[in-house]
Amino acid sequence: MNKRYAMAIDLRRCVGCQTCTAACKSANATPPGVQWRRVLDLETGEFPDVRRTFMPVACMHCANPPCMHVCPTTATKQREDGLVTIDYDICIGCANCVMACPYDARSIEHLPHYAYGEPMKSETARFDAGRLGVATKCTFCKERIDQAAITGQIPGVDPEVTPACVNSCISGAMHFGDVNDANSNISRLLADTESFRMHEELGTDPSVYYIWDGGDQ
Amino acid sequence: MAKLKFRTLDQQSPSFWGLIVLHLVVVATGLGAALYMEEHGHIVTGMSNQVVWGLPHVFAVFLIVSASGALNVASVSSVFNRLAYKPYARLSGILAIALLLGGLAVLVLDLGRPERLIVAVINNNFKSIFAWNIYLYTGFIAIVGAYLFVMMDRRASQSAPTMKAMGWVAFAWRLILTTGTGSIFGFLIAREAYDAAIMAPLFISSSFLYGLAFTVLVLLMMSRETLSDLMPEEMVEKFSGLLMIFAFTTLYFTIVQHLTKLYAAAHVGVETFLLRDGGVYTIAFWFGQIVIGTLAPVAVLFFRGSGFSARSALTLASILFLFGGLAQMYVIIIGGQVYPLKLFPGMDVSSSFFDGAVGSYVPSAPEVLLGVSGISIAMLIAALAMRLLPFLPQAEPKGS
Repeated sequence: MNKRYAMAIDLRRCVGCQTCTAACKSANATPPGVQWRRVLDLETGEFPDVRRTFMPVACMHCANPPCMHVCPTTATKQREDGLVTIDYDICIGCANCVMACPYDARSIEHLPHYAYGEPMKSETARFDAGRLGVATKCTFCKERIDQAAITGQIPGVDPEVTPACVNSCISGAMHFGDVNDANSNISRLLADTESFRMHEELGTDPSVYYIWDGGDQ
Repeated sequence: MAKLKFRTLDQQSPSFWGLIVLHLVVVATGLGAALYMEEHGHIVTGMSNQVVWGLPHVFAVFLIVSASGALNVASVSSVFNRLAYKPYARLSGILAIALLLGGLAVLVLDLGRPERLIVAVINNNFKSIFAWNIYLYTGFIAIVGAYLFVMMDRRASQSAPTMKAMGWVAFAWRLILTTGTGSIFGFLIAREAYDAAIMAPLFISSSFLYGLAFTVLVLLMMSRETLSDLMPEEMVEKFSGLLMIFAFTTLYFTIVQHLTKLYAAAHVGVETFLLRDGGVYTIAFWFGQIVIGTLAPVAVLFFRGSGFSARSALTLASILFLFGGLAQMYVIIIGGQVYPLKLFPGMDVSSSFFDGAVGSYVPSAPEVLLGVSGISIAMLIAALAMRLLPFLPQAEPKGS
């Protein structure tokens, strides 16, 4: 069976610190205003027992991705390990995928702009003109995952081949791994907890699981 | 039946040349605006990550929808065998092609990477309705071109079965094309304002209305220009009646579209936004689309003859219908995007990145210029075609 990489986020542990957001920005050099990963702020519970719940969201790397179906040029593809990718070289920037994604996970940046107006050295060094005028989104840090095949390391276990957001999480709320491997860390975690996925009713079969027991713990 | 005669647009008045120059200026500024947006990026437009299809898309979709409707008159004459419409069939065909090219020009220039258009042809995803539309649009131009050839070629035009067959093919294709355009929105399950099968028939009925309004206005303009009555009173009555029917059909589908959404509790939010709390979008819907764009022109047509001439009423009503069409597209395309995605049904969501918040969109001058230039491109193509080839009917001399 092929691998299927997935993420599990324990909402009971997430404190909304946005470290994953910052780590993603740093790892992927996204420009100001483009957030491949962000944290939603929700109110849960019944008055007077209400609380804030934080929910990190990004591309869900759906098994049945609407963005891929609507893409006119096949720029959006799905790898055998489940990762949904964008071929920047054949994306025409029509934005149909931005409209079709139920998770608001995609962005189009038309002009390079920088945090403080003029580009800093680091921004210049990591500028990628190929990302202008095309759709971009979370890649699950695929370059790191691809390294695993070379080094023999395990994504979700070894930090070098694990997405930056997962590595950065201060409360250990984010987990990553192969859900098709029953013995992987993520499979065992999901087996032991209650979880849901966003917009399951749409049949997109997302690869991001949210561990949640109603907030009682 | 008397043999039909056609003519080219061989004499132009100074005011016509003035109009041509105005269109050329609009096209030049539109192209300049596209270049400016390409150079500086969409950051100089009102578009954002919340509103990725802006005013140029409103004009583009409006023109594409109108294009298929402009073929109405030709279809009525050859498919439904209404001979009174036959003199206008050629004009109807060339106007359909011109409007489509105008709309496509705007659409292509508003892509993130317009220079990669050829990529969309080489790498095709047949599951994408967007990709289908590439074939539907080019197919439409080819089929209507062939249809025009059959109408204009001396030998082919003598063959009634050929004419009928081409008429049917073009009619079927224009229905499929507008179904494809409407389905771009109908298939977007993520957006509450769309995700409805009715988008396709709604777009088809709208196309009938706006396409005929464009045809009528061009015919009236050409009557003035050729100093001949290209639209006798009988046709003024027929066109007025057809426009009213199409206006009521579009209104009917619009009502059903909103009532269906209102009936489902899950979509009450978006409908409340569009119909009551949406500010400029609510105004665009009620005053732009419904009052000014539907009820007022229908009233003008209904009471034609009392106070001002039926011809003036038809002119005014056609202009108002087109205004209503733009308002309709603005509400559908922009209003449908600014309403936030429902990331978590039943919960209020917020974040530092606009989640759960109504998006803002104010069209910028370059967007307006690019959008309007689509209409000018269409009109220039139509004018050039009428100058070169006999698309205009030859009015019968008075008293004959």
